[in-house]
Amino acid sequence: MSPRAAEHVEHTATGRMVFDVGSQHPSTHGLLRLAIETDGEEIVSAEACLGFLHRGIEKLGEHRRYHQLPTLMDRGDYLSGIHGELASALAVERLRGIEVPPKAHWLRSLLGEINRIASHMAWYGTFGRDAGVTSHFFYSMRDREALLDILEAVTGQRMTFNYVRPGGVIADLTVVAESKIRRFLRTFDAHLDEHQTFLGGNELLQKRLRGVGVIDRDSAMSLGLTGANLRASGVPYDVRRDRPYAAYSELEFGIPIGTTGDAMDRYLVRIEEMRQAARIVRQCIEGLPEGAVMAKLPKALRPREGETYACVESPRGELGVHLVADGSETPRRFHYRAPSLFAIAALEQMLPGTLLADAALLVGSVDIVPGEVER
Amino acid sequence: MLPDVTAVRSLLSGVAEAEAECTSLGVVVHASSGDAVAILAALKSSEFDFAVLIDLLGTDLGDRVEITYHLRSFTRDEDIFVKSSLPHGGTLQSASGVFASALLPERETAELFGLVLAGHPNPKRLLTTEGQEPLLLRSVPIRTVKEVRDG
Amino acid sequence: MALDRSVGEHSLAFVKREQLFDWARRNSLWCTTLGTACCAIDGLMNLGGPRFDIDRMGVLFGVSPRQADVMVVAGTVNRKMAETLKLLYDQMSEPRWVVAVGACASTGGPFREYPNVVLGVDRVVPVDVYIPGCPPRPESVQYAFMQLQEKIRRQTEERSAARRDGS
Repeated sequence: MSPRAAEHVEHTATGRMVFDVGSQHPSTHGLLRLAIETDGEEIVSAEACLGFLHRGIEKLGEHRRYHQLPTLMDRGDYLSGIHGELASALAVERLRGIEVPPKAHWLRSLLGEINRIASHMAWYGTFGRDAGVTSHFFYSMRDREALLDILEAVTGQRMTFNYVRPGGVIADLTVVAESKIRRFLRTFDAHLDEHQTFLGGNELLQKRLRGVGVIDRDSAMSLGLTGANLRASGVPYDVRRDRPYAAYSELEFGIPIGTTGDAMDRYLVRIEEMRQAARIVRQCIEGLPEGAVMAKLPKALRPREGETYACVESPRGELGVHLVADGSETPRRFHYRAPSLFAIAALEQMLPGTLLADAALLVGSVDIVPGEVER
Repeated sequence: MLPDVTAVRSLLSGVAEAEAECTSLGVVVHASSGDAVAILAALKSSEFDFAVLIDLLGTDLGDRVEITYHLRSFTRDEDIFVKSSLPHGGTLQSASGVFASALLPERETAELFGLVLAGHPNPKRLLTTEGQEPLLLRSVPIRTVKEVRDG
Repeated sequence: MALDRSVGEHSLAFVKREQLFDWARRNSLWCTTLGTACCAIDGLMNLGGPRFDIDRMGVLFGVSPRQADVMVVAGTVNRKMAETLKLLYDQMSEPRWVVAVGACASTGGPFREYPNVVLGVDRVVPVDVYIPGCPPRPESVQYAFMQLQEKIRRQTEERSAARRDGS
């Protein structure tokens, strides 16, 4: 795939070697084992071995009441808890036919976008580490801490919020939280420019990312990629725009797309997504309607027999919940469509032909969270 | 969002015996397990352009396991669901030849529902260790409070 | 330097070799991080970030198990991971300590009912400090390391006391 790799190995006699990265390795972003077969410096084949974090979110969901599903979803994609909660809440609302108050819709969008920036910041910090840059991790963590402060002020938790529930959200925005958001917005765009100068403006990084790990438009679609990975390959699909949920139909935002689908495009798309997310946060905070944040619901929800699929645009792509109800207090089947699982399959296709040194960078560039890969 | 049911019916009448209906989920095509892959291929190459397999899941219905394929067309922004059912321990014919995105979810579904995977390039266990019973079957219980306490 | 502060500048300190080692060990706890799930993000990544900055306590994350003193298990451990966990623990040299971060690592947490999940790391390796929370705040993990330092100090004292009584 990459001509660079061929030049390197031409002059050396090499043999094939298989080695394992993981299951516990700093560059795999959690528990992922990659069995990589190399010929010299070049990767011949890669196989992802999963299951080190398989903890039964789907199975336990069948034994939980509908109100309790967000608690499990929080811990699936733990970097963006709000989106997981939102997907399960949307599915339950659709099955039961619950009318959500308008303010709850806006708060869902607001918190979702704040969470998106926080999640992208965690990706950004670790991505730099994969590339061999250490200090910029501290700058990204500076912004992430500000975001976690906001999330804590609204939901009471830094992670695993349990904030979005079927019927609305659990708490209103406080004055303190609002001022924190405004303070964050005042500096964020400048901070993002600073980040761009640090990492994106670095010529060495650009050289390492350009033309590496290319996924073209057709294979991105056939691999089932969604989110930033798909948009970097040039498919302008965004659940927020194409199947609006929460308050997104009333909000204005751009959808960045890439052209070549290489690691640099995926990087740039995510950076631009953060800028757009900040734009949405600004609109949400200005246009927040008045009113209740939670619909009146009975203690135990018993949706009629039926089946539904609800999806949201999480930082990693289309996060869906497929829910089958049988009329009882617990779902018959609770399925979690994890965007990272499909990114892993893309990774297996992407790695052969690249240099071993780029492997960690490519794992970082597709942004996977093992918690939702294995559920 | 919803494709035209009659158009889907007329498309599938030339491929295999299948029933299409509109449910709370969307347009659902019921097919026998042998025809499922052929139907997926037909839907992919049709004018509907269902180019993406968004999701694949199994559901334990008690006496059999139902496999749901979730397809999407980006050009028309429509979804369709193809369902086929298998007996417990039956053979799941791989759709990875038609949709590469089925590779990992198929392995997961086959493992967690105790199915045999056929036609898959790498039909190994994906998530659990050797000897683990299929965990998503409803006949496999979760730990009770007592079991958790006494461990 | 901290030794200066405790004994005064330009002075001699007579310490037992054991005490010196103990003092050094306590203040440079190198950890092999087994960050499996959510706790690894809040309990470890944010803890290593600029606000909480665990490095100033001499705690260094992410070294190989052969060089590590402490194993930090942050997150759920299932049957497949338990094998790796045991393997890594066996590679660590003595003396070694284990910190279980969060409800999952301590008891199985919200996933305890799933048959594939191990009910706490202590079923696989001995644990020294348990941290409650789902996930624990970074401050809790900081406090846990202070408790671990205290435990190491106490262990040394007890050892020398036992030797004194024995002789």
